[in-house]
Amino acid sequence: MIAAVAVVAVAAGAIGLGIWGVRLVRTTSDLYVASRAVTPWWNAAAISGEYLSAASFLGIAGLGMKLGASVLWLPIGFAAGYLALLFFVAAPLRRFGSYTIPDFAEARLSSPRVRLVAAAVVLTIGGFYLVPQLKGAGLTIGSVAGTPYWVGVVAVAALVALTVALGGMRGVTYVQAYQYWVKTFGIALPACLLLVYLGGLPERAALFGQELPRAPAGGLVVQLDSAQEVEFPEAISYSIDGRRFRAPADAERTLPSGRLVLPAGAAVPVADGGSVEHGGEWAEPVERSGASSPVFVYSLLVATFLGTMGLPHILVRFYTNPDGPAARRTTVRVLGLLGLFYLFPAVYAALGRALTPELYVSGETDSVVLELPEAAWPGLGGELLAALTAAGAFAAFTSTSSGLLVSIAGTLSHDVRRGRGAAGEPPLERMRRFRWAAVGGMLVPALIALAARGLDISVLVGWAFALAASTFCPLFLLGIWWRGLTARGAIAGMAAGGLVASSGIVATLVAEPSPTTLGALLAQPAVASVPVAFLTMIGVSLTDPERPAGTEETMLALHGPEGLGLEALRARAETQSSGSQPVIKASISSQPGST
Amino acid sequence: MNDAAGRRQRTPREELAEGTPHGDVYLGELIRSQLRLSLLALGAFGGLVGSLPLLFLLFPSLQDIDALGVPLPVLILAAPLFPLIVVIGLLYQRRADALDEAFRDVVSRE
Repeated sequence: MIAAVAVVAVAAGAIGLGIWGVRLVRTTSDLYVASRAVTPWWNAAAISGEYLSAASFLGIAGLGMKLGASVLWLPIGFAAGYLALLFFVAAPLRRFGSYTIPDFAEARLSSPRVRLVAAAVVLTIGGFYLVPQLKGAGLTIGSVAGTPYWVGVVAVAALVALTVALGGMRGVTYVQAYQYWVKTFGIALPACLLLVYLGGLPERAALFGQELPRAPAGGLVVQLDSAQEVEFPEAISYSIDGRRFRAPADAERTLPSGRLVLPAGAAVPVADGGSVEHGGEWAEPVERSGASSPVFVYSLLVATFLGTMGLPHILVRFYTNPDGPAARRTTVRVLGLLGLFYLFPAVYAALGRALTPELYVSGETDSVVLELPEAAWPGLGGELLAALTAAGAFAAFTSTSSGLLVSIAGTLSHDVRRGRGAAGEPPLERMRRFRWAAVGGMLVPALIALAARGLDISVLVGWAFALAASTFCPLFLLGIWWRGLTARGAIAGMAAGGLVASSGIVATLVAEPSPTTLGALLAQPAVASVPVAFLTMIGVSLTDPERPAGTEETMLALHGPEGLGLEALRARAETQSSGSQPVIKASISSQPGST
Repeated sequence: MNDAAGRRQRTPREELAEGTPHGDVYLGELIRSQLRLSLLALGAFGGLVGSLPLLFLLFPSLQDIDALGVPLPVLILAAPLFPLIVVIGLLYQRRADALDEAFRDVVSRE
């Protein structure tokens, strides 16, 4: 099978580059942040490579096929998140020199307690973000090798945990840059060639007119692996395993597992969770209510725009930039690379609506990127293109989940531990604990992923962004730009924002989401939870008498432009004045790789 | 560099490095100017993209305009915003670097 060969080739390429990259670098700190001699373009490709996850590669197209043009806001938010990072975070944090969010929290607010809270939030967001990656793995491996869903989840979870635990591939800039190009070719080339082959977008009526998705001329066969709740938009007759049935319009039924056959031209039943829309509705980017209501759209834009900076695996990549201005230059290039990638997922959503209607029946629209090429282009051409998308999907979920797992394991073994005050520990012991943390950190998300097959990848990812936007975004923005932030304020704000965001998410999971404004707000709570977090953080800080020590030095370290030679001057001042000056923090002059 | 001669005038750079009240004023000025720029850029992006959902909602007839075979709002969301984001990012980056440069010039005057 060609697709399986492509997946193996991509994995082998990554491992080969990883070995080559490891031979290039010498010390462990070099390994962690890669060689800092890499150019902004390499850096930008590596950052984009780690960022483009299963949600971008599979999820946008899948959700777009299901919900329509309203999903187009998602890639805009995903890309614009780096704009927020550029405006507020990239250069100051690079100068400051903290590797992780808990590091930043403790150094800025001089409080080990903040580190612990930040560590807990890192674990929550990281776990949330891992689940959809593993779901993508289950779908992709299933599509390539024909295995059940759980096989892919377990296999990739084990593979990623093993590579992270053994220290392979992580942090190597060239591997992540390579993954970016695998993903971009994997989504762009098939999309372009399919459009050429089909002569443009097919069946305009179904996409943008008054038509529903229908079975093609030869009828439609859907193999249902499990019983499936569906809604019939029109009265049709169908058969399952040879037995004939009729369903009236608007009927809701549970189809048993088996071979479902729909006659030519029949409007396809739509699985639970999807909605039956004709083309005109489907193509509307904003509707008055439901999952495309303005409240939901704005909330999603807020979550993605402000949440990107708070994803645990993003910031560590910025330390491969030599200084603040280089971090800015790299981020602008990231915006370009992400923009290039995000032109293509929508093509699959549109083609999928016309050409793979069986995914509406099974509810697995998330696999449209994998299934579409062969459905649209029977024969060798489609098979080759399917191999490309499978390889890209594999690159997407493995690169993101290894990045996430490195952050999770690092937090489990380092921050949580250090919060309890166990700093000077032998490196061998630390390595051993990191390995166990990698295995343990993968276990819980993998179990959740096994149970979460019915949830859309992009919905899960949207929640991770909402949580990040309601906790770490205010921590960064206020911590970097406002001297008045205190440890107590930061903790209260993160707790309040995290609580509001997660109660909305839990409410949506437990109760059926209703298509009201309130339902939309619960399903994507960022527009409420982000202001709550900011206001709490500011309010509590203002009433907190206890200011963190050395805020001015921290501010200088964050914002002082490079090349002023302040370190030398400061050292001189310190030798002159006998201890009357405040203690200068080590982070001001610390450079990763030089310690 | 032992200026035993007494209280020589400090340079701005020394004020910054030693964290004197003067130094803090310099630094505060830089932070404020950078923050102003960031908020301006945020406003530009937010105004452009943030107005789109309302625009599409208030003028549903936009949906009937055919642009390259797709409804106009769909085309707007699918492609041109990405280059626009890059342009905003590039303009911001140039201005932010220039502000840093200006600050370096000011405090490096001996």
